[in-house]
Amino acid sequence: MSQRRAIHVDPSELLCTKGCGFYGNAAWQGLCSKCWRDENQREKQKQIQEDWALAERLQREEEEAYAYRQQRTQPHSTPIKPLSKLEERKTKEKPSRVNSVTKLFTAKTPSKKDVSFDAHSSPSPSSSTGRHSSADSDITTKEFIDFLKPLKSGREIFKQCRAFTESMIYKRDIEVDEFSECVQDFYQNLSDRLLTQFKGSSEHVESVMDEVEKYIMIRLYKDVFCPETTDDEKKDLAIQKRIRSLHWVTIEMLCVPVDEEIPEVSDSVVKAITDVIEMDSKRVPKDKLACVTRCSKHIFNAIKVSTKEAASADDFLPTLIYIVLKANPPRLQSNIQYITRFCNPSRLMTGEDGYYFTNLCCAVAFIEKLDGPSLNLSPEEFELYMSGQASPHWPPPTAACSSATGSAALTQVNQSMDLLTGLGVRQERVLEKARQMESDLIDWTDEVEQKVQSVLDSLPAGTPELPVTTDSGTTPTAASSAIDSDNVENELLPPPLQPQVFAG
Amino acid sequence: MAATGGGKTYSFKVVLLGEGCVGKTSLVLRYCENKFNDKHITTLQASFLTKKLNITGRRVNLAIWDTAGQERFHALGPIYYRDSNGAVLVYDITDMDSFQKVKNWVKELRKMLGNDICLCIVGKILLLQTRFSGGAIVVVYSYAESVGAKHYHTSAKLNKGIEEMFLDLCKRMMETAQAEERLKGNGASQSASSRRGVQIVDDEPQATPTGGCCSSG
Ligand SMILES: Nc1nc2c(ncn2[C@@H]2O[C@H](COP(=O)(O)OP(=O)(O)O)[C@@H](O)[C@H]2O)c(=O)[nH]1
Ligand SMILES: [Mg+2]
Ligand SMILES: [Zn+2]
Repeated sequence: MSQRRAIHVDPSELLCTKGCGFYGNAAWQGLCSKCWRDENQREKQKQIQEDWALAERLQREEEEAYAYRQQRTQPHSTPIKPLSKLEERKTKEKPSRVNSVTKLFTAKTPSKKDVSFDAHSSPSPSSSTGRHSSADSDITTKEFIDFLKPLKSGREIFKQCRAFTESMIYKRDIEVDEFSECVQDFYQNLSDRLLTQFKGSSEHVESVMDEVEKYIMIRLYKDVFCPETTDDEKKDLAIQKRIRSLHWVTIEMLCVPVDEEIPEVSDSVVKAITDVIEMDSKRVPKDKLACVTRCSKHIFNAIKVSTKEAASADDFLPTLIYIVLKANPPRLQSNIQYITRFCNPSRLMTGEDGYYFTNLCCAVAFIEKLDGPSLNLSPEEFELYMSGQASPHWPPPTAACSSATGSAALTQVNQSMDLLTGLGVRQERVLEKARQMESDLIDWTDEVEQKVQSVLDSLPAGTPELPVTTDSGTTPTAASSAIDSDNVENELLPPPLQPQVFAG
Repeated sequence: MAATGGGKTYSFKVVLLGEGCVGKTSLVLRYCENKFNDKHITTLQASFLTKKLNITGRRVNLAIWDTAGQERFHALGPIYYRDSNGAVLVYDITDMDSFQKVKNWVKELRKMLGNDICLCIVGKILLLQTRFSGGAIVVVYSYAESVGAKHYHTSAKLNKGIEEMFLDLCKRMMETAQAEERLKGNGASQSASSRRGVQIVDDEPQATPTGGCCSSG
């Protein structure tokens, strides 16, 4: 029908709408190929120019905002003296090393060159770190713009996000929960508007919101991850210590259904551990969540290979607990708090990532509250293990051991115990002997003293005053005193021989 | 946002509660993947499963959260069912202890989420062991009614009662969500309540089954 109508169309309607005389084409919006190319080129050019202008403006605004921020932090920086001092020292250290090196090589050229070195090198460290972070956010800005470019409302979205982020940077001294509330409100308002105003599908909105989250949180991360106003850091250290003290917890106690003897399983376990540790290195909440999800998938694989069944929560949670205990992930509480406060809410509430994250929260809560009964242990056993007085790997002789490896371990323990007891006895004996020897020595010196005394007593009274007569020296003391004393009897000796000259 | 708009997608979170071995996993695998005791498992996990539904022209995304049922994890319940819109509580009709557990959960859920959460109590039928008495069933039904829950008997093995149960749960969750919407009306508290889990999403008008290339599924 439509085809037939096309045939009967007036030929003049087929001409290029630019009026160049060539035939146009509907696919080229009624233009001929040449005009279309020109037009398209212009359109493209215009867009490129617009992009350029936008990028330039953003760059300028970024720089302004950055400068403003620097300015604002200057008066604030007084309490953070240690850092600036450290930097000072750093910059001082560097030139001095350069100094000595240059001195070594150019011993004749004096300090003049070194001074110029100094002047050049000192500002570089601080400016390079500044450049680093701004370059980082520059990349995210660029990516964000690239992502928004095809969207009709892209510019509007960017403007709002940028304005919001800047406003939040100035608010970073407020309570973190309030801060989180602001960010969450922003997410909510923006996604509401995207849904209604721009008629986006929910998937589309989600993908935009992911980029929004990335752009905002890369900027705010430094200020809101483990902020000083909270006790997040204290909690991090507490859970880390707690996990360390639970090093003795075994797979059996947690009823973890994985068999690490299987290479594929132990491989998955290692990967799961790596993933949950990696969470700390990400800055965007969504990226942190993705680490938890990857970790969970490896756990599922370990369970599936071990049990030949799809993992249910009954299997998954204990295994996740085991992985967390083995990994002892850095800044665990800070990461959980950060995700809770700043992640896109829809992702956390109903999404798959949210499910795994919730299980991670459960694992941490379980580890914090863990006691004997939750590991099928008596409170006494739990206490012994916690205090390190006993270990499930080396059970005390009273513990009943059913397995062969258990009894083997038991005999080994008993042997060790015997050996230790034997060594203890021998040490006792050595100590006893040493004590004996000490008293013998004391006795001996007493004896000697006594003997000397008795000898001295047996000598006639007054003799000690006549050392002169002692030419034989019966007692060593007398002899030595005679030698050491000044040569009192010198005058009694014949005069020394004098050299004499013989004539002849 | 017009209240009488065309397509809207609801996203609901449903927690699955029940003692170990009462049949939670079987129930959800039957519902979401139509599998029972499948030896050729292609499913990696049965802890988090989703289902897309179309109820009276409204699209519904169900996310079903399995929970660890062991006693030592009992205290973790509130972390799991935060922000959930519905709960399916499973017990074994031949084991009244497992029903007692259900009662405890109901108490906790109502305390924490009030009437915002829709409850389904599910008695798993084991055809081989029909030792339950009619009296017990009366007790169970009257209890469910007293706590504002619906009671169902299901069999994962025979695939009986499961679709109906979830369908009814979804309808009730939709009613709750709509009531909440009406309540807030054009109020300013919109953000707070929708952050609580009910997400209402406008569909693009042309999103009909024929138009989708890979989005359906
Ligand atoms: N006959 C029958 N067996 C079932 C049904 N549901 C579960 N089972 C069996 O009950 C056992 C425990 O089920 P499972 O789903 O693992 O329980 P869960 O621990 O609550 O997840 C399994 O052996 C299932 O085959 C059912 O509806 N009918
Ligand atoms: Mg199960
Ligand atoms: Zn032309």
